[in-house]
Amino acid sequence: MSKYITAYYSDEEDLLKGIGQIKADGLKIMDVLTPFPVHGLDKALSIPRSRLTRVAFWGGAVGATLGFGFQAWVFTIDYPLNIGGKPFFAVPSFMPVAFELTVLFSAFAMVIAFFLSNKLGPGAKPVIHDERATDDRFLVVVEVEENSPEERISQIEQALAKAGAEGITLKA
Amino acid sequence: MYTSPLREPLIRGNKNYKQVTDDILSPMAGKPSKYWYLGIILAGIAALFGGWATFRTVFYGIGEWGLNKTIGWGWGITNFVWWVGIGHAGTFISAILLLFRQKWRTSINRSAEAMTLIAVMCAGFFPLIHMGRLLLGFYIFPYPNTRALWVNFNSPLLWDVFAISTYFAVSLVFWYVGLIPDIGTVRDRAKTKIRKAIYGFLSFGWTGSAKHWSRHETISLILAGLAAPLVLSVHTIVSFDFATSVIPGWHTTIFPPYFVSGAIFSGFAMVLTLMIVTRKALNLEEYITINHIESMNKIIILTGSIVGIAYLTEFFIAWYSGVEFETYAFFNRAFGPYAWAYWIMMTCNVITPQLFWFRKLRRNVMFTFVISIFVNIGMWFERFVIVVTSLHRDFLPSSWTMYKPTLVEVGLYVGTLGLFFTLFLLFIRVFPVIAVAEVKGVLKSSGENQKLTGHE
Amino acid sequence: MENQKFIFPRKLASITLSMVGIGVLALVVSYFTGVGSERIAANLLLNSYYFLSLGLIGLFLVTVHTIAESGWHTSIQRVGEAMSAFIPVGGVLLLLLFVLGGMHLLYHWTHTDHLDAILLKKVAYLNTPFFYGRLLVYLVLWIGLAHFIRKNSLLLDQTGDLKFYRKFRMLSAVFVVVLAITSVTASWDWLMSIDAHWFSTLYGWYVFSSMLASGTAILILLVIALKQMGYMTHVNQEHIHDLGKYLFGFSIFWAYLWFSQYMLIWYANIPEETVYFYERHKHFSDVFYVNLILNFVVPFFALMTRNSKRGSLIMVPVALIIFIGHWVDLYQLIMPGVVGGENSGIGIPEIGITIGYVGLFLFVVFRSLTKAPLVPKHHPFYKESLEYHTQY
Repeated sequence: MSKYITAYYSDEEDLLKGIGQIKADGLKIMDVLTPFPVHGLDKALSIPRSRLTRVAFWGGAVGATLGFGFQAWVFTIDYPLNIGGKPFFAVPSFMPVAFELTVLFSAFAMVIAFFLSNKLGPGAKPVIHDERATDDRFLVVVEVEENSPEERISQIEQALAKAGAEGITLKA
Repeated sequence: MYTSPLREPLIRGNKNYKQVTDDILSPMAGKPSKYWYLGIILAGIAALFGGWATFRTVFYGIGEWGLNKTIGWGWGITNFVWWVGIGHAGTFISAILLLFRQKWRTSINRSAEAMTLIAVMCAGFFPLIHMGRLLLGFYIFPYPNTRALWVNFNSPLLWDVFAISTYFAVSLVFWYVGLIPDIGTVRDRAKTKIRKAIYGFLSFGWTGSAKHWSRHETISLILAGLAAPLVLSVHTIVSFDFATSVIPGWHTTIFPPYFVSGAIFSGFAMVLTLMIVTRKALNLEEYITINHIESMNKIIILTGSIVGIAYLTEFFIAWYSGVEFETYAFFNRAFGPYAWAYWIMMTCNVITPQLFWFRKLRRNVMFTFVISIFVNIGMWFERFVIVVTSLHRDFLPSSWTMYKPTLVEVGLYVGTLGLFFTLFLLFIRVFPVIAVAEVKGVLKSSGENQKLTGHE
Repeated sequence: MENQKFIFPRKLASITLSMVGIGVLALVVSYFTGVGSERIAANLLLNSYYFLSLGLIGLFLVTVHTIAESGWHTSIQRVGEAMSAFIPVGGVLLLLLFVLGGMHLLYHWTHTDHLDAILLKKVAYLNTPFFYGRLLVYLVLWIGLAHFIRKNSLLLDQTGDLKFYRKFRMLSAVFVVVLAITSVTASWDWLMSIDAHWFSTLYGWYVFSSMLASGTAILILLVIALKQMGYMTHVNQEHIHDLGKYLFGFSIFWAYLWFSQYMLIWYANIPEETVYFYERHKHFSDVFYVNLILNFVVPFFALMTRNSKRGSLIMVPVALIIFIGHWVDLYQLIMPGVVGGENSGIGIPEIGITIGYVGLFLFVVFRSLTKAPLVPKHHPFYKESLEYHTQY
């Protein structure tokens, strides 16, 4: 178990400034919780660009191959049927379904990967540091070990106060 | 971020983040108003009428409808296409307008998308009921079976199956992914244990972590990129149902983009109809401002004009082609026995929306409401005109006939309207009607107070 | 720095002018080597139409962003305006081509003494006086609107008076409406009526989407070229990224319309419609596939990632490919009907005349760029344009 020290901000610009200060002080930020996506936060926390786009691409590639291949297999190998004098291998006819499956696979692969990588999903039990984090407060959470000495904690609290935090709480 | 002083604020009133949360979530707490009850009772009655019509259709068969051997498609497909069309606005708003960085979408995207999902459900009902045997609905999917048969991949009707189900699935996911942070907000403000548990479950454990937000933005963007061509493809494929045929008046190459444009046109009209009422009923006039209504009216005039050009193009090319049947089909539309339907369509879709060129009228709520209803009517008649007038003059004059809907068909249509409003009224009780987090995201650049203090 | 004006380097001017020289030379050579006057006329039509359309798309992009009140586009507005300077030149060249005998070579419906039953039905639309009448209406509207839009844009810049901004916006709306109608009818007149029996309702929009993709490619090339020469320093990666997204999106949109038109005609299989693609499959099958590869496959895969749209390394070659690709698209629209499978090809007339038009286009555009500051700094959205970031 560890303890969490949370600094509160009520404006995203103060938050960004504060984060810069906290990082300059050499503290390790565990997490930042915000009610909406704050621009510039990715950079401030050096979060790398998400690789979910690649999942989307490969999902789409699988969907396209499967969609087109399946139709082609059905109509040329498994059960060729003359329909309205169309050729068995009717490429233009296969396009709509192939396209739809591309989009379907791409979207679902990406969204599933999103939930898995964030460990989000039905029944997930998150640690809610403060309920105002989804309302109007911006939270910076710093983790400290359970048995850290008092001085260490107050040192961190002072650093956070120096970084413009409007409120600081300690939670086990 | 700097915005030009010429831009009107998108959020009126002196709002801070907390007020945004309170204003948008307050309609969900407390007891619904008596208008809400009245609405849901009326919608419920309409849905019951639909239930009766469904029973008649399933129990006695398609003979209950006014179709005959010349006109094999009547109100059923008209309603189907109409509902699918309406279902285009939501995903258009959240996908294409996101790609175009239109900030005004944040106030309307959530409910427009919910409307989309409901409209697609209503649409899907018609092909199913047209089978006459709802139980056999799964026949339309390709699955290995004892008959060793597959579905016909050459048929546009089958493409529809894939298009509509993909559209529904992807729109649902897109909507829900966007909704998760707001459900988190609802969870954290829930007063009772049960509410907390339900919304906690639905929120998928959302906390607002910076890393989650970062990925959330990435997938929202990619989903928008995927949904944008998807929106186009759905009505394109619906138009293929007609345009791949050789029926004069149906087989014309302009159908795909023209149907898409018409779909967005009717979808925005329905969004306007719903939003003008909703903003009033839920006191959200500071979030869905006259500026939003004006922007939507601009989309109405754009798509309406595209549809108008398409009508004229079709008409001209029908003559220019030199094909007697084409020429006749269009002449018959405008001056034949169904001319009344054609001119209703022309008036509501092409002529009245042109009044939105005047800024005064674009910014008049009552006028917009009336025009939005007109467009809904006009777009319904567009599909009716395309379906019925092209069919009722068959190649053999001995087969020429007219078509009249029966009470059962009317019942099915009214029933889906009832279903639509019932589900929408439930939606506004259960979920936030405006994307809370997204509105907060634009508050700094587009809120009224920020603009007044010269915030940059 | 802020108020920079483009100075047309002498070397560049002489390069563009010598390209024009090559074009004229190619024209003369083709004439005397006897490639056939149809083929020469077809090439002149192709290029006149192509570059006239690029001018119109330049203005279209300016006007459509103006009425959409888009902020980011303001910083590159001058480039689109400069492209529109070619509208009168292209229009006059087209008119000259028709007047100097092109009509008879290009359009067999002008051979009024042997019209068949179907063409006789179309005489009310396809006749020479009406054709010229429409052409003059298009040119007057386009040139006139282009002139007044540019004038108000410059007045806005000189005075900073929002009165001119409102006028600029109003004229832009008029131009968009006018172009929405005339671009369609013009493509019927000049291109679709080559195959006078054939018809397709989508044709006008298809051609427009083709020109839109190519016009965007040219805009990108011009912006990057100006940056290379040290101008337009206020244009950054974010603007290039947005233009790249356009190029990607418009290419997909073009492919969508191509597919819609082709698939519906293929599927319904009505002889009077399929004859069009039958001819193209039979004699122009290479061009048919090259068209799809250059205009859809290449941009789709090359511009898919974010990084490829943010720099010139991939954008420049792709934009060039798209520019060539839509030339090929026009080639397959025009050549089968005018020249036919046996006599057509890609040789001196095609390459030489195109080089000439490219030179002329660049000369006109660059000369127009020298006439106004590259930075529209009194535009009400200018500051927004500088400060924005593509958040994604």
